[in-house]
Amino acid sequence: MRYLIQQVFRSPRFLFGFGILMAMLLMVIIYPLIVTYPPLEIISQGTFLPPGIYVSVYDSIDPANRYILHLDDATTKRIASKLGDDDRLAMQEWLLAVGVPENEIDLQDTVKLLEQWENHFDPTVKITGMTNAQRNYYIRLNASLDGILSTEGAIIAESNSQTGSLEQKDIVEQSYYVNVNQVPNVRVLPLGTDNFGRDVLTELVKATAVSLQIGLVAGIIATMIGLILGLLAGYVGEVVDDGIMFLTNLFTVIPTIVLLILISYSIGQEKRGAVTIAVVIGVTSWVWTARAVRAQVISLRNRDHVNLSKLSGHSIFRIILRDILPYIASYVVMALILQISTAILAEAGLSILGLGPRTTEVPTLGLMMNWAMIYQAQILGKWWAIFPVIVVIALVSFSMNLMNTGLDQVFNPTIRD
Amino acid sequence: MKRLTAILSILLALSILLGACEQATPTETEEVAVATEAPPPTEVPEVEPTEAPLSAADIAAALPRNETMYFNGMQWGPVACWNPYNANCNNAMAIVEGDSANFVMFEAPYMYNMLDGQQVPLLADGPWSWNDAQTEITYRIKDAAMWSDGTPVTAEDAAYTWATHVKYQTNAGGANGPYIDTVEAVDEKTVVVKAKLNDEGKPVNPLIVKAFLSSTYIIQKAWTQTLEARVGDDIAAFNADTAEDVVYSGPYHKFFTDDTKVVLIRDDNYWGQDASMWGKLPVPKYIAHAIFKDNAAGSVAFAKGEVDVSQQFNSNIQLLWLNYCLPISTYLPDAPYGIGASLPTAFYNLQSHGLDNVAIRKAIAIAVDYPTIIANAMTNQSATFDQVPRSLMNPTPGEQLLYDRDAVADLQWAGNDIEGAKALLDEAGVVDTDGDGWREYEGQKLSYIATCPNGWSDWQAAIEVVAAAGAEIGIDITTNFPEWSVYQTVVTKSDTPLAEGYDIFMMWSAGAGPTMPWGRIRNLLSSEYVGMPVNWNGNWGQYSNPEVDALITAIPGESDPNVLKGIYTDLVRIYLTEVPSFSLMYRPDLFHAVNETVWTGFPHADDGTDPPVPPMVCHRGYSVACLYNVTLVNP
Repeated sequence: MRYLIQQVFRSPRFLFGFGILMAMLLMVIIYPLIVTYPPLEIISQGTFLPPGIYVSVYDSIDPANRYILHLDDATTKRIASKLGDDDRLAMQEWLLAVGVPENEIDLQDTVKLLEQWENHFDPTVKITGMTNAQRNYYIRLNASLDGILSTEGAIIAESNSQTGSLEQKDIVEQSYYVNVNQVPNVRVLPLGTDNFGRDVLTELVKATAVSLQIGLVAGIIATMIGLILGLLAGYVGEVVDDGIMFLTNLFTVIPTIVLLILISYSIGQEKRGAVTIAVVIGVTSWVWTARAVRAQVISLRNRDHVNLSKLSGHSIFRIILRDILPYIASYVVMALILQISTAILAEAGLSILGLGPRTTEVPTLGLMMNWAMIYQAQILGKWWAIFPVIVVIALVSFSMNLMNTGLDQVFNPTIRD
Repeated sequence: MKRLTAILSILLALSILLGACEQATPTETEEVAVATEAPPPTEVPEVEPTEAPLSAADIAAALPRNETMYFNGMQWGPVACWNPYNANCNNAMAIVEGDSANFVMFEAPYMYNMLDGQQVPLLADGPWSWNDAQTEITYRIKDAAMWSDGTPVTAEDAAYTWATHVKYQTNAGGANGPYIDTVEAVDEKTVVVKAKLNDEGKPVNPLIVKAFLSSTYIIQKAWTQTLEARVGDDIAAFNADTAEDVVYSGPYHKFFTDDTKVVLIRDDNYWGQDASMWGKLPVPKYIAHAIFKDNAAGSVAFAKGEVDVSQQFNSNIQLLWLNYCLPISTYLPDAPYGIGASLPTAFYNLQSHGLDNVAIRKAIAIAVDYPTIIANAMTNQSATFDQVPRSLMNPTPGEQLLYDRDAVADLQWAGNDIEGAKALLDEAGVVDTDGDGWREYEGQKLSYIATCPNGWSDWQAAIEVVAAAGAEIGIDITTNFPEWSVYQTVVTKSDTPLAEGYDIFMMWSAGAGPTMPWGRIRNLLSSEYVGMPVNWNGNWGQYSNPEVDALITAIPGESDPNVLKGIYTDLVRIYLTEVPSFSLMYRPDLFHAVNETVWTGFPHADDGTDPPVPPMVCHRGYSVACLYNVTLVNP
């Protein structure tokens, strides 16, 4: 046994797969200890906030945290963020359309360009061939250019509770900076937020844990059913074999996903928890395990040591447990690993169809993808809501398959090194 | 053994069949058969006479882009029929009656304009008028109005249409029957619509009589008689007739349909090019609706410019122009992007434990974080309750003026008022007595299930926010999303108490129309729906208040604007005090986003049209005017 385990851990493929899985497990265990926010808490007003560090604006204007830096390129950067090259070209287009000669327009001379713009832009002018979308663009551009060249600071005023008038309280100059480490309210969202306004990373870690649990439960159920039926069919034979194989063949010809969909639908959403889904997946995916176990048992049952056991009067269960099971244990472990990986994929598949676990009690990988797609994350380029989920699913599946082939290398005599 | 196998096989096959029955939607199989029928040969348009003429299917497979306007978001399956008497033809591009009726193939006397609340004459010549006693409406049909077979539209057609609706018990007949007595032809062109009168000799409901003029098509008498000859007195056969031979008066008619698209082609002899109506033909030669699998597929096509007018909930639509610089725009350039017309509402099951207590109802309602619902669930495509304080009115300026906002200002909560909600509950004695963190009422923990149909994503996201509010104030609210087929049977059954699991549930309210806001208020509050075995009208929480009923009954017969304002204000006050339900957001009747890759000149705010063309996807109500205003971006 020890030798076997040593062998297994010498297989580079197994090790690599095992490493990935362990890394994910560690993440799932350690992350919630460090980041203790509830994974389903709605924190952002607005969907799909991009990944980044969110600094409280209100706290940043506190004079206590104020530093002055004189940076040469600050103004250039500020202007460039509001007036890109495309915007300049669009301004030129407008100016040409209202009759400004082309040689008078210098796209690089921001001051002159803005002056010409101010003189000639009129949102009510109808330019032939201009669509409403373009008109809206120019109105937005015009609004964003307001005060772009200003060198003065922004005034912070307070409303006088008696007169209702605004009274100047502070000026935030353009050269003021704040050290993010000193702002009391900073939230790092490494993967932004999702359509509900939840922190994607925190949710993803929880979802990975839940999906792994679903996979484990479903995998164990499927393997247990498959193992028991396969052992019985293979060893007892005759009517029992016929009966079990009849059942197995029935399940073989019905595609698993169809069964899954039908069962999940008929259970109804109110009863579909994560465990229920795991059970459903488990009871629909034992078929191949049963067939393979049966085949192996049939080849084992006439071996000498089994016959000796029979002659010694050992019970069926003892024979199966002591004389047959150990010989197929390696196969069963490999099957279990594959079953877990398949179950995680099955949950994702079901959830994408809207038939997964009840929404928002617990997150699962499939549910996260489902909601991201309902809110069109993939169309709107909100990669952080969907891509990390796909990567996690791929990694789980990849690591388990690697472990499986690694085990195969060790246990399968035909491909053993 | 073999026999056992056979029996087991049969059992399994049966179980699969039975299982499958529950899954299927029963109508679709029939519709496919209809939709794949080839169109009649007369409808094949003239094409370049070089080779053998192309069939409609060939042309429809590659419609000339510069002559076609594409739509999405209204048709989700194949068309079943072209019968304007049948409300269930699943034919959104040709047959939709109601406040925002579709006027491309069939026409009504008037078109409703949701922006100014006016009814614009279509088949009718000039405005209609009441008689002095307000018991009958008279209007005249335009001399120029013609059917597609070249015969004039007459008053007799209008009268016969109504008689047929009554005789064959159609949807329109059923809905208007209690309010409209007869439609009569005075002379060839003059129509009189007589209202049903109550015991006092006053019309039962003049508002509905008025709305009838812009919500119900006029259908040709001669064709109706052909149909009757075909089906006899058989009501089912009358409704089931696919009406491929229907005579119409509108500018477009059937060209091609299958299960991927519906195409209508312009009738170049359309009467409306007469100076007394539009003075010209609508610009696109074809209007087509692509049938997509789901919203996501429709959104992709819309972003790519394959769809010109989109009636879908495109989440975060502003990103299409802000981030992707696509030539896409909405009616308003900024949030909420459209004109909110209806009030998706969370209803309380007033028989649930504790929800009969107004303090608990109000506490939940004021604790809900509406800004998050609007920002996240609706991606800002709704006005906020700060911009348009809650009442029973939709956000259109016309309705907002109908009640006295100052008189109820202290009742109009904007949400997120956790402390206020807690204080309210404490005051009412609804406190946590056993220290488990949840409040008890009459010794029982307050625990509710909030629900809406599965797959209705924006509603689901909104209901999640409602549930979150419960946790903040010590009321346990969990969510549940049953399938629509289950949900609708439970919610619309108003003759028994609602089933368990429906403590707080979402439904819609009426949008814009000539009977609004009265119709919406009636739907939300009137007890006349309590006791209905199938209730699609409203008040699904089964609220009952005689004072409210009296006020609702008084409105239709009242013409003094000051008195009306008083009544509406009273109703709003009662609604916000008693909280039998609460709106979660505002929502447009139809989403209306346009991609100006091919066409431009769509309605948008301040577009200079007079009367203003409403953003109702260019063919509902007066929005059909848009089809005459559009031009090609690259002619």
